[in-house]
Amino acid sequence: MIQENITEEEAKVYEVLKQVPDPEVAVNIVDLGLIYKVLKNDEAKTLDVDVTLSTPGCPVGDVIIQHIQTVLENTYPEYAVLVDLVWEPAWNPDMISDDGRAELNQ
Amino acid sequence: MQVGLSTKNAPSIWVVVPHFLIGTVSFLAASVFVVFNYQDLLGYHISGSVLSIVHLMILGWVSMIIFGALYQLIPVVMQVKLYSEKLAIITLGSLVVGLFFLIAAFLGYKFQLTNNFIVGGSLVIFAITLFAFNTFKSALSSNEKSISKFYIMASGIYLLLTVLLGLFTVINLSYNLLPVAHTEFMKTHAVIGLVGWFLMLVIGVAAKLMPMFLIVHRTREVLLKWGFYLINAGLMIVLAATFIKQVPEFVDVISFILILTGLVLFLLFNYDVFSHRMRRKLDIGMKLSAIGLIMFALTTLSFIGTYFGNSVFGFPVGRIEIISGLLLIYGFFTGLILGQTYKTLPFIIWLFYYQKLVGKQKVPLVADLYSDKLATVHMYSFVISLVLFLMGLVYPIEIVIRVNGLETWINIALLLASVAMLFTSLIYGINVYKMIFHKKIIK
Repeated sequence: MIQENITEEEAKVYEVLKQVPDPEVAVNIVDLGLIYKVLKNDEAKTLDVDVTLSTPGCPVGDVIIQHIQTVLENTYPEYAVLVDLVWEPAWNPDMISDDGRAELNQ
Repeated sequence: MQVGLSTKNAPSIWVVVPHFLIGTVSFLAASVFVVFNYQDLLGYHISGSVLSIVHLMILGWVSMIIFGALYQLIPVVMQVKLYSEKLAIITLGSLVVGLFFLIAAFLGYKFQLTNNFIVGGSLVIFAITLFAFNTFKSALSSNEKSISKFYIMASGIYLLLTVLLGLFTVINLSYNLLPVAHTEFMKTHAVIGLVGWFLMLVIGVAAKLMPMFLIVHRTREVLLKWGFYLINAGLMIVLAATFIKQVPEFVDVISFILILTGLVLFLLFNYDVFSHRMRRKLDIGMKLSAIGLIMFALTTLSFIGTYFGNSVFGFPVGRIEIISGLLLIYGFFTGLILGQTYKTLPFIIWLFYYQKLVGKQKVPLVADLYSDKLATVHMYSFVISLVLFLMGLVYPIEIVIRVNGLETWINIALLLASVAMLFTSLIYGINVYKMIFHKKIIK
């Protein structure tokens, strides 16, 4: 995880996002290190998520983004969810968590 | 802004899927053909049945699947939409009808230009020109500067040259337009086709897909860049030498070494990718692809055999050429296609049925669309078939004549090999059927 200083609420959002798998490798996107930032603003009722993909031509990119949007809208119906696809910093396999690595090779 | 999403660029399912369906039927048909004509593989003469099998495998199976897969992969590799889906459909129709006439022509082959050759050859050339045009236009609209794109573009040019040389070979036989032996043209047709079209394309696509599927970040792209220069230089020499009279032998050797070094660099690239992969456990698609790559390493070795086998070991070159062809078409191309089918076809089907349901309902995984067990079964039968083919083809005719009972053993080995390949194509066909005619599962 590259985001620092996350609140307890934002940590919960990360847990929710673990429901979203990469359909190709069947590992969740949080453990794959694809989520760069989660900002939960309780006053403005907004939820901003920065997500990246393992490669710019990723064939299932839309599906992942749509899945994030749906899961967050269902879990936080009173919040406006904004999912941004970002390419900086470029994703690399070092961003995969230990759990993600273990899951990849199960 | 959601830039670079290839799902938005993905072609219609109706463009991709028919290629897999027809390709699978061709593989099955070619396998049935081999069971009834396996003795022709011994290559005592160039028979119509061998030419039918080769063209059914190359055009109906390998090219067909590559066309379909490439339409799906252009958005992944080049990050653009396919230039025209209509052209892709016309290409498919023309290729299928052309192939039908061509096979009919080869079945009654008597080294003469028949109407079936003219109709079949023209339709295949038309299809291939359209395919090359479609790929080129897509590539030109892409800003991607990867080596993959250059390999794919170059392969389109070689594809056109291949069919033109093939057609010219047949025309020249009848009308003697150029005083060049038809065997020279056929050799160049085969080298430009196999190395220039197929291998360049496969290298281009594999360079992108292998690191993506195996999760490898830093690849040694420099190997592929050098490979690109070397293979192209070698092919240019082969092409030029065909039209020049009395080319010194060393020119042939130089082109061979250039191409071979390029292919070895591709193998080294893949070795590096496999050794640095984050995804240690290989799924069935990657296991089959790895077998394909091992077969390619053996093919490369057998290429050396075609050059030095006779002078060093006294092995008949004609037999090594057949082994090379078998390793390349049955071993490498077929292995890679069997494997990469599981990495491409289920995706487009899965996206078609489940893309809009993701997150709203529980949907199956991509891998749930095919049977892993069936794929594993045909992986084993594929390997068994290859081993048996090699065991049957490895003995030179001189030894067969001298050793009692060897001919019977060879016939048994080749028959079993062809049955095992038929079994492979059948099981693979069942899995392709399962994917294409998938029934939506809502959990």
